[in-house]
Amino acid sequence: MKEKLSSEETKPKEYIAYPFIEGENVELCPTNLDHVKLYTKWVNDSKARIYARNNRPHTVEDITKWYEPSESRGLSKYVTFEIWHKKDKIPIGTCGYGRINWIDRNANIFMSIGVPEYWNKNLGTEASRLLIDYGFKELNFHKIYAGIFEPNIGSWSVAEKDGFILEGVQKKSIFINGEYVDARSYRMLKKDWLKNHH
Amino acid sequence: MEEKEDIPIMNFIKGDRINLTPLLQKDINLVVCWMNDPDVRTYTRNPLPRTIEEVIKWFEPKKEEVKTDVDFLIYHKNDEKTIGMVGLTDIHWLDRNANLFTVIGEPEYWGKGIGVEAGKMVITYAFEELNLHKVHTSIYSPNERSLKAAAKIGLIQEAVLREEIYIDGVHVDNHKFAVFKKDWLNLKKDEEM
Amino acid sequence: MEPEEVGTFISGKNVDLLPGDNLEHINLYAKWDNDQETRHYARNIFPTTLEDYKKWIEEEKTGTPSQLNFEIYHKGDKKIIGYVGFNHINWSDRNANIGMVIGEPEYRNKDLGTEAAALIIEYGFNELNMFKIGCGMFEVNVGSWKVAEKLGMQREMIYKEQAWVDGKYVDDYKYCIFLDEWKEKRKKLL
Repeated sequence: MKEKLSSEETKPKEYIAYPFIEGENVELCPTNLDHVKLYTKWVNDSKARIYARNNRPHTVEDITKWYEPSESRGLSKYVTFEIWHKKDKIPIGTCGYGRINWIDRNANIFMSIGVPEYWNKNLGTEASRLLIDYGFKELNFHKIYAGIFEPNIGSWSVAEKDGFILEGVQKKSIFINGEYVDARSYRMLKKDWLKNHH
Repeated sequence: MEEKEDIPIMNFIKGDRINLTPLLQKDINLVVCWMNDPDVRTYTRNPLPRTIEEVIKWFEPKKEEVKTDVDFLIYHKNDEKTIGMVGLTDIHWLDRNANLFTVIGEPEYWGKGIGVEAGKMVITYAFEELNLHKVHTSIYSPNERSLKAAAKIGLIQEAVLREEIYIDGVHVDNHKFAVFKKDWLNLKKDEEM
Repeated sequence: MEPEEVGTFISGKNVDLLPGDNLEHINLYAKWDNDQETRHYARNIFPTTLEDYKKWIEEEKTGTPSQLNFEIYHKGDKKIIGYVGFNHINWSDRNANIGMVIGEPEYRNKDLGTEAAALIIEYGFNELNMFKIGCGMFEVNVGSWKVAEKLGMQREMIYKEQAWVDGKYVDDYKYCIFLDEWKEKRKKLL
């Protein structure tokens, strides 16, 4: 029988994090397989997964495979961080880059606060800003892009506030909640970001 | 196993006298020959004997996520013959630079500017296709032929690392050469006008 | 070669679509994908070896396929001239992307690519129950987006400075067509 997550296991306990990028309220840390049950819970959460496009259930084993250490010491096509809440000392989500193309120097940015109590507190915005700085200043990207579904207003209005530019809308691309919805594509070019951040 | 005759020559990058083609398993014999040849291997840093089985393993398709090397064979169009190998190693995608290497395996083709032509083709590939920022190469002091070739290619000496390499019983200097994307692409534009 | 060896999957006027990923033809695939002209806008930036194709074709595939590949067979000349296929197939969203290469240069600019693409689009809507089919290409690859427009596809996206080609950043175009739009267009194409 698969283990059910009891309320004991989801209460804040002794979590350990190794900060990689420091922010004011949050830190971005490497993912930690000790927290894999939390990650699984977030991926399966009925509210959060709709716009994150997880339309199949995932087991702890599935998620463990995602985060298993790779054999190579070199670069990869994705980078994932755990978002760590400094004051409450607890992981609250994941974020990072996927589909990294090192030749075209671009990547898809993703951000997900998995714990609902931490929504609407601007923590996502803070984590995004840290992540975007990292993408341009450290990973030397030329362009960062994001795909956000039309009904997910919360997400794309934050993107626009952060300075992302709408490249276009792909009509009826995704089937969600019984109907086809549009997918918005946002971009941020390094030169545009530099203009706003000296 | 396919017959050699059935496998067409695949011209990945086309040049004047030479084309650059992929390194296929059927070519490994020739490559190992060059790696072991005492005249060819002097300045290419092959101090240990290599077997065919070993080298086949090196060039097997890897599971790696991001490539750090690219290898080409040098194919002489007129003589219809594979005469050497050229490419990039140590590709650093974040810093956007890579090391250029050239091996002319067949001695009759030395001193004919083949290395220069091959080097130019790979450098153009590095900047126009791989979007690299800098291409560098290491040439050791006794290797006068390569030092001359580097200048002809347009590589600029950046530094001399003294007594860094051990060849033929002595420590010799390592000359580091490099070229940058904007300089290279501007040069190309001028040449085309 | 005779298509009876593996069977004609889709029959057209000048071309047929045969099952792709044929281990006996990897020499051809490698020749096309490595050729400097052919690969120019096809995003083959690294050389591919015969061993690479063997590995990809022999790899164990689990779950629903995310791609389906076909060979383009010229009926008159009895010759395989290229390949076409679906990639990024999303079965829940019922959409997919098309990729195509006419590998043999003498067969380009003869509307054979348009015909092959029309056959696979028809297959996608009519048999795979797709809702939306798309394809992407660089803005500089004019030949490719002219074919997309001939097929009745609409440009839905321009991704600025998306790819590094020939020493500079170029835009990427995305075209698409929906089932109901194809139902109209196919009357003229098939």
